[in-house]
Parts: sequence; structure tokens; C-alpha cells
Amino acid sequence: METVANPTYMKRKRNGRISIKAGSKSERVIRLTMMLLFVLTVTAFLLFDYTGLELWTAIVETGQNLKVMFFEPALNHFTWAEAFYQVGVTLGLAVLSTIIGAVIAFFLALMAATNLSKEWVTKVVRVIVAFIRAVPTVLWVLIFAIAAGLGSEAAVLGMLFHSIAYLVKAFSEAFEEVDKGILEALRATGSSWWHVVIHGIMPSTFTYILSWTFLRFEINFAVAVAMGAAAGAGGIGFELFMASGFYFDLSEVGFITYAILIIAIILEVFSTQLKNRYFPSSVRN
Amino acid sequence: MALLQIARLSKSYDNETKVLKDISFSVKAGEFVSIIGPSGAGKSTLLRCVNQMVPISSGEVIFDNAPVTQLKKRALRQLRTNIGMVFQHYNLVPRLTVIENVLHGRLGYKTTLQGIMSRFTEKEKEQAFYLLRKLGIEEHAYKRCDQLSGGQQQRVGIARALIQGPKLVLCDEPIASLDPNSSKIIMDHLKSITSELGITCLVNLHQVEVAQQYSDRIIGLNQGEVVFDGTNYQLTEEKTNRIYGTEMRELITV
Repeated sequence: METVANPTYMKRKRNGRISIKAGSKSERVIRLTMMLLFVLTVTAFLLFDYTGLELWTAIVETGQNLKVMFFEPALNHFTWAEAFYQVGVTLGLAVLSTIIGAVIAFFLALMAATNLSKEWVTKVVRVIVAFIRAVPTVLWVLIFAIAAGLGSEAAVLGMLFHSIAYLVKAFSEAFEEVDKGILEALRATGSSWWHVVIHGIMPSTFTYILSWTFLRFEINFAVAVAMGAAAGAGGIGFELFMASGFYFDLSEVGFITYAILIIAIILEVFSTQLKNRYFPSSVRN
Repeated sequence: MALLQIARLSKSYDNETKVLKDISFSVKAGEFVSIIGPSGAGKSTLLRCVNQMVPISSGEVIFDNAPVTQLKKRALRQLRTNIGMVFQHYNLVPRLTVIENVLHGRLGYKTTLQGIMSRFTEKEKEQAFYLLRKLGIEEHAYKRCDQLSGGQQQRVGIARALIQGPKLVLCDEPIASLDPNSSKIIMDHLKSITSELGITCLVNLHQVEVAQQYSDRIIGLNQGEVVFDGTNYQLTEEKTNRIYGTEMRELITV
């Protein structure tokens, strides 16, 4: 094999070795960003105020607190029955906002998917949805609290709002992934738009829709816990707030944390089981 | 009587390069017509102009005495029920069963609500099974489509086109992704559609030999223009060279 005298297409690094990166603008921007972040992190640690900090004591005390929380969980201010009820309230908030949100998001996502809708419609929906998503859930809850008052109504509305925006993006991207050919084939049989959605889009994306909804449900459960404290929505989050902020009862905080953890694990197991058993992505022969 | 008349049809996607230039031909009912030509000649676009999957730029397409170009939503849906379509990549919904995919061919006859509720009549279901039996894949009726081989999937695609009760079947490279054996089965089935059911077939093909073997008539397309239009025995080597713009022996014959 003869060597090319003047390799026009081959790029070499400064040390003469052949480069396999395209050396594009985006690569350079990414590298610059990473370096900037690194420098900022290092300088931040140098500039912190360390007065009054006794590192060793701090570590030991934190360890002590964690030990009380996680090895001596106990209920001091309310009963088991009440705990169950409060967890139920939190789950209720999450379920409500997720289910209603998923249904509304499904229809909006149809409007936001470029392969199903007119260009200007998708743009309008996407801009609105991006705006809603940019504002954190907590802020939406507080905004709705102006109209509905602090409490579960405002919490559900705010969480619903953010869930819709989140799911519209997820769903519409799943819809756009559907093979163009499938849509073309259905249209060529004379199917109407709704037929294409129900018989082409739905069966192809059902598992995605399901898993995105479950993911959002998990997020909403966590948010509902926080809302109990921040927006007085009730539920286990409020008890957690009371236990830590009012009673300084670390063992109770530990108990509540365990309760939330167990619920989260149950949800996770349940969703995986549901997906694998009833909606497998491929059938085993 | 001509089932399909195409007159001075032009199509461009970007107003600059014309994919199809001034194409005119007509197809009689019951004909088996192959369209051959190199990649990018505009074969697929031509097929899609017939059932308005792509809007045409100028010219006229008349199918069954109705001008296709002027049809709006409802009438267009009705037109499409009369034209079946078979694709290179089958374009089935992989997660649905074979029988469900076949019944999609009836959606054009349904109202929106009927279609959403999947209200297919017993007669339609029986017809679907009949077609699957004819195509030799009845045993797979309740399997998911992604479990089938390419040749079997293409037969499902043909069943979906036939259950529409079409007057014309458009086939876009039906055997381009299949092995020679499956290709033969598919081509035989397509041929029998015309010979037994009297349905007109318009088939895009890559393989000249296959086109010569199966068609009544061949249309050669090169760079958006019809460069050959005649019966299969009129297609000499010289004419083939004109279609492909190269010597025949330079082509890799599969």
C-alpha cells in the first residue's frame, strides 16, 4: 500500500497523530464548558467561609444524627394508622395529578408531534409547554395557591400543570419516533387522522407512554411529599416537616423516610412488573 | 378503457430540481405494469403521486374517471380505498397481530368512531382470514407481526392491500428487501392478483429480469423522464442501457 503524500482529508493532532474527532464547533464548546465548570468548582471551594467550622466534630455529629434517624426510627407524635392515612393522602395527590395530567398530555402531545400535526400548531404547543416546564413545580403550586388557597387543591393543580408539560414533551417525542412508513401505509388505505393515531401511533408507543407516566408518577410522589411541607397540602410530607422543623425528632424523621422509601420501592417494582408482564417490547417464542 | 391516466405530470419537492418531468402514460384495467429505473429516477414519487401521498406540482392524474388532483379530504380518503399499496419495508405495525394489520385495510371504509372502536364486521374478518389462507400464512394470524420473516410480512402487506377491494395496487419495490426465494413467492402472488382477480398492478422494480419475466408492460424511468414504454419483449439490451445510462454487463445482475 502506498502512502499518500498529501493527505487532504486526514486531520492530524498537534503531536502528529491522526485525529478521529471531527473537531467541530460543538466539540470545542463542550470542552470549553467542562473546563470552565472545573475552574469554577475549584475556585468556589477556595472562597467558602470556613470560620467556626470544626470539620471533625461536624462529621461525627452528622454521623450521630444519621444513626438516630436510620437505626432508631420511631413514632412519637402520631400512630401507625395515622401514618398509613397520611401516606395515602400523599399517594392520592400524586395519582390525581399524574392520571389527569397523562390524559390531557396525550391529546396535547398529538398536537405537538411534527408527524401528526401542522407545523404552526406544534410550534405553539411546544413553546407554551416549554415555558410551563421551565418554571419549577413548587412555583406553580404557589401561583395556584393565590386562587385556590394553600392546600391540596393548589398542590394538585400545580403538579398537574407541570406534569402535563413534562409528559407532552415525552409523549410527543415518542410519537415522532414512530416509523414514517407505518403512518404512510395507514394513510394510503384511506384511514382518517384518528384511525392513524389509534391503530398506528398508539400500539407502537403504548409502552413508552406507560413508562413515562410511571416515571412522572414517581416524580409526583416525591413532589407531593415536598408539597405537604411547602404548600400545606397535607400528607406524609407535612408530618415530616413537623417532625424535623418543629419537634426536632430525628427518630420520627427516620421512620417517615423509611415509609417513603418503601412506597417508592413498591411503585418501582409494580411498574416494572406491569411493563414486563403485560406490555413486552418483544415476544419470546 | 384506461383505469389510470397520467398526463404531463411534473413534481418537484423544492421548486428547483424536478423529480418528475412531464410524464404521460395510461394504464388499462387488468394490466401488470412494471416501472424500472436507477435509484433516484423518481419511481417511488411517481407511485405516490397516483394516490396523492405526495401532492403533485403540475399535470393531471385521472383514476377511474376522477381527477385525483382536485380531491379534498373525504373524497381523497374514498379514492385511497380503491388503491392498495405495498411497500418495500412492509410498513406493518409491528406490535399488532397479523389479523389486526390486515384489517387496517378496511379503515378507509369506516367512520372515525367505527375506526377508533375497531368495529370490523364478521364478514370483513372472514375475508381477512380467507386472504391469509390464499397467501399461505393463515396459521400466523394471531402472531405479532415482528415475529414474522420478511417474506411473510410482505404477504401480510399484500393481504392488507387486497382487503381494501382495490381496483389498482401500487407496489413500491416489493421485493427489494427479500431473498430470491421469497421474492419469487411475492412476485407470483402479485401476478396472480392481476391474472385471477383482475386487479391492475403498478410495480416499482429494481431487477430488470424480474420485470421482464412478470410484466405485461414495462415503463423505464431515468432522471424523472419516461425513456421507455412498451411490452417486455420490446425491452432490448440497448433500451435497458438507455434506462440505466450504462452498459448492461456493467450492472451487477443478481
